[in-house]
Amino acid sequence: MKGQRVLIRYTVFSALAAALLASAALIGDRIDRARPTLPDAITETDLAFQGRRLRGLALGAEGLIADWYWIQSLQYIGGKLLSYQGEINLDDLRPLKPRLLNQYLENATDLDPHFYAAYAYGAVVLPAIDSDQAIALIKKGIENNPDKWRFYQYLGYIYWRRGEYQSASEAYARGAALPGAPRFMLEMAAAMKSRGGERETARAIYLNLYENSPDAQTRENARLRVLEIDANQQLEAINERLAKAREQSGSCPVLGAAVNSLFRSIRLPANNPIRIDAAGEIVDPSGTPYRFDTVRCRLAISPASKIPKPIE
Amino acid sequence: MNPAENPRKSVRIIAAIAKNTFRESIRDRILYNLVVFALLITASAVLLGELTNGQQARTIVNLGTNAILLFGTFIAIFVGVGLVAKEIEKRTVYSIFAKPVGRWEFVTGKYIGLCLTLLVNTVVMAIGVCLALLYVNGTELIVPAISAIVLIYFELLITTAIAILFSSFSTPTLAALFTLLIFIIGHLSSSLRDLGAALGTLFVGLLLEFLYYVLPNLAVFSFRTEAANGFLPPVSVIFGAAAYAIIYACAILIIAIAIFSRRNFK
Repeated sequence: MKGQRVLIRYTVFSALAAALLASAALIGDRIDRARPTLPDAITETDLAFQGRRLRGLALGAEGLIADWYWIQSLQYIGGKLLSYQGEINLDDLRPLKPRLLNQYLENATDLDPHFYAAYAYGAVVLPAIDSDQAIALIKKGIENNPDKWRFYQYLGYIYWRRGEYQSASEAYARGAALPGAPRFMLEMAAAMKSRGGERETARAIYLNLYENSPDAQTRENARLRVLEIDANQQLEAINERLAKAREQSGSCPVLGAAVNSLFRSIRLPANNPIRIDAAGEIVDPSGTPYRFDTVRCRLAISPASKIPKPIE
Repeated sequence: MNPAENPRKSVRIIAAIAKNTFRESIRDRILYNLVVFALLITASAVLLGELTNGQQARTIVNLGTNAILLFGTFIAIFVGVGLVAKEIEKRTVYSIFAKPVGRWEFVTGKYIGLCLTLLVNTVVMAIGVCLALLYVNGTELIVPAISAIVLIYFELLITTAIAILFSSFSTPTLAALFTLLIFIIGHLSSSLRDLGAALGTLFVGLLLEFLYYVLPNLAVFSFRTEAANGFLPPVSVIFGAAAYAIIYACAILIIAIAIFSRRNFK
């Protein structure tokens, strides 16, 4: 009898506690939802702490705090990309207004001056926002890691993106002089001087970034860039053939086996062959079939493809 | 008891007290923190890949080494300050000193016992960090991480000695607070010297310079951020840190013994 009473009491108390906790959770959730969304100008206040001021005061945990800023920078850009409604152009991320990215990366690298991944990420993403900030970040990296040739590779890359081939060549040459620098650096120093704006140079740069970058996001972006360059090279050749065929016959040819054999005869570099899938469709370097615009009689990258598309 | 009287006997007594202190710590479920650490490091190894964009190895080293220092410091402080106080509170100290046990042997034994507990704790956590690094293919960071952990253990030797020093004359709460403050100041001690140089007043400058040398310079044991980048501390740094830790801890223990020897338990 007594045991039963105790059991009932415990059950009632447990149910009451569970009900109160559930109510509190519900109210909390309501409050969160009712909270007005503040504009970016208010929510994105400048970072309260500056890495260089925290340095030496973090009881030796500077590396851990740098990691936190690094994760924040990734989340920040990820959030901006997800919430942006328009077409995303990897070459110009300014419409996303990611003005805190530089501060996050500055803090991460102030706290841990050897944080290579943070510098590399900044070198690849910041030029699409503010290339001066990217150059300043990499120059800081060079100052803190004077014996690491990779920082010069990134500096050369940023100058190349700006079309400053002479500065790019100088950066690659300085990196090439450091111990352990691969032959690629010397080759790029020469290529920048003679053919900085050429497609093959761009391909070599992105291929090297893909093979050597420390973070997965940079590698993926570089891979897509290589595919984009290859796709553009294929499209140029294919669309030239289509235009000729249209000129000769007076109408746009219907894609099919006959036309495919025509495309197969196009001579592109061995590392970029034109491929036709099992269904007989011409596919881009990522394996997605090209979109055929019958009105303009042109092939283009399909919206379903992962390859970055030119903004129309 | 004079230590010179019978050194072998003293060693036996110290070993017995150290063994008991170690057993007591285990019985007090001190090592339960290892469960929290295991969960933390496992979660890091599994989840950090996505969050850190492929930088999980360095984050595991940062997270692991800082957690080892944090857990170790908390154990050193909160167990250290209670070692002597508990014996007095439970009045077991009377029965101990009724036997031929010297106060210096008691303090030394307690210190060594807690250092042993911390050693087991640190070794198990270090194994956890290494396993997590193996899981994420971060093997190149294993040796740097271990060297950073060795330095952390040296730091814990000093923190434990300071906790015992304060507990020899103060209440456990105050002793914990003082030790925590010394831990913080110890990590910022180089700022004391810089501040002294910047102020320009001779007296304040000398005072801060004095404090810089008297307080422990715990920053010499910090190699966590460097280890996460794959750097190894030079051998001279490791041996220098070991020598500093042993000399400083001995000095603090001598002061603790001197104070404890004069303490009246009535």
